Amino acid sequence: MAVSGFEGFEKRLELHFFGDIDEDDNMLGLRLLEFESLEQVLFAVQCTVVSAVGNPFFDAYVLSESSLFVYPTKIIIKTCGTTQLLKSIPPLIHFANNLGLHLQTCRYTRGNFIFPKAQPFPHTSFKEEVIYIEQNIPINICYRKASVMPSKLPAHSWHVFTATCLPPLEFPHDDAAFTVEVCMTELNRHLARQFFMKSGDGKTGDIGGKEMTELTGIDTINPGAFICDFAFDPCGYSMNGIDGDRYSTIHVTPEDGFSYASFECIGSVYDDPDDIVVTLKKAVQVFMPETVSVSTTGCSREVWTKVAHAFEPLGLKCRSFAMDEFPAAGTIVFQTFTAARRK
Amino acid sequence: MGSVLASFFNGPNSAEEDSSSSSLLQTFHSAPRWQLHFDSVKETSKLMVIDFSASWCGPCKLMEPALSAMADKFSDVEFAKLDVDQLPDVAQEFGAQAMPTFVLLKKGKEVDRVVGAKKDELEKKIDKYRCC
Repeated sequence: MAVSGFEGFEKRLELHFFGDIDEDDNMLGLRLLEFESLEQVLFAVQCTVVSAVGNPFFDAYVLSESSLFVYPTKIIIKTCGTTQLLKSIPPLIHFANNLGLHLQTCRYTRGNFIFPKAQPFPHTSFKEEVIYIEQNIPINICYRKASVMPSKLPAHSWHVFTATCLPPLEFPHDDAAFTVEVCMTELNRHLARQFFMKSGDGKTGDIGGKEMTELTGIDTINPGAFICDFAFDPCGYSMNGIDGDRYSTIHVTPEDGFSYASFECIGSVYDDPDDIVVTLKKAVQVFMPETVSVSTTGCSREVWTKVAHAFEPLGLKCRSFAMDEFPAAGTIVFQTFTAARRK
Repeated sequence: MGSVLASFFNGPNSAEEDSSSSSLLQTFHSAPRWQLHFDSVKETSKLMVIDFSASWCGPCKLMEPALSAMADKFSDVEFAKLDVDQLPDVAQEFGAQAMPTFVLLKKGKEVDRVVGAKKDELEKKIDKYRCC
């Protein structure tokens, strides 16, 4: 493991809002946010937009350090490196209030940083992060929980903080969508090399990104999705996939010594549980990592049970399982996998 | 950070731009006027770039300055802007589902397209197809 390098592990923030959405505005909600307002939010986080695409359901932005998704009543921001993600909370709440929208639920998740000492405030520790969030959300968001879900690997645990103003009996348990967050480390070196730009190529950004998507087979993970991709100089890759109201997103830090890749997508309780497993296997096969962690939020028992066996054909064995309940988010399951040949 | 973003998406001549004032980037609101324009450009050997956008789409707004700059830079290319809600039949005809979608045409036939706010890819493709 290198002494220092780019931090691939992301911090993820999901904010849900409620309010009077004017019929005249076509239920656009947060999508009415001026781009200048979003720019201000991203400035606070210290990242910028490098590519974007929208469809009738949501807008998807590829950032210099990951992704941003804007739906009418929810925003998801996922950033890596040394970004100060939580600093987006005050401006987002402010701009949403201007649109007549109020914060309902806040969910913050992340794995373990490979280089924790390189993180700026408030990301210096989970405790600092939780204190910061609590100080910056309205006091009526009173149902709160923070927890670190462990695994048998000291370098892999899952940090979760959720807060909501919805009383427990009103949690939208009938919400059909669930989220899957996959973190992969020690990527296969040969496969990771595909995410380095060819020298002298001059193929930047979106053109280089498209080539990487096709070369690595990322476009076969969900053939029905439209992909907005970007290749970074000299290495690194990001993509957002959009398919109806669902997003998927992949981010790659390919350098040896601190290689990392993430895959995140939405599933539905109405899907065939095997579908999500097939998708996850295809995503992991692009990278063939030594270690994988999978966190599911709000999915059925059937889905996370299948996930436990999903990677066996790829030589990855499930090593740990942790499960907990969180306000508004529901059941969060955290599983880790390592190569079966390891003890 | 703001200036990095601005320089990424703005072209060289974008100092005080009113995107609708560039005569080479026309916005069409009605189907008959669009059809007239399309038919007249079809008769020429000019490259035409249609920007399908929507009022509900943030990424479309992101691309506007870059597109205006390209319209100024590539004066031999016809740029047209269509709102998919105002002209849904045209949008459907061209299969514009994700926004912004840029369709490149020569003599009324599609030669290529770019989907998403992809400034580099769009500029490279316009440069590629604008002559012969």
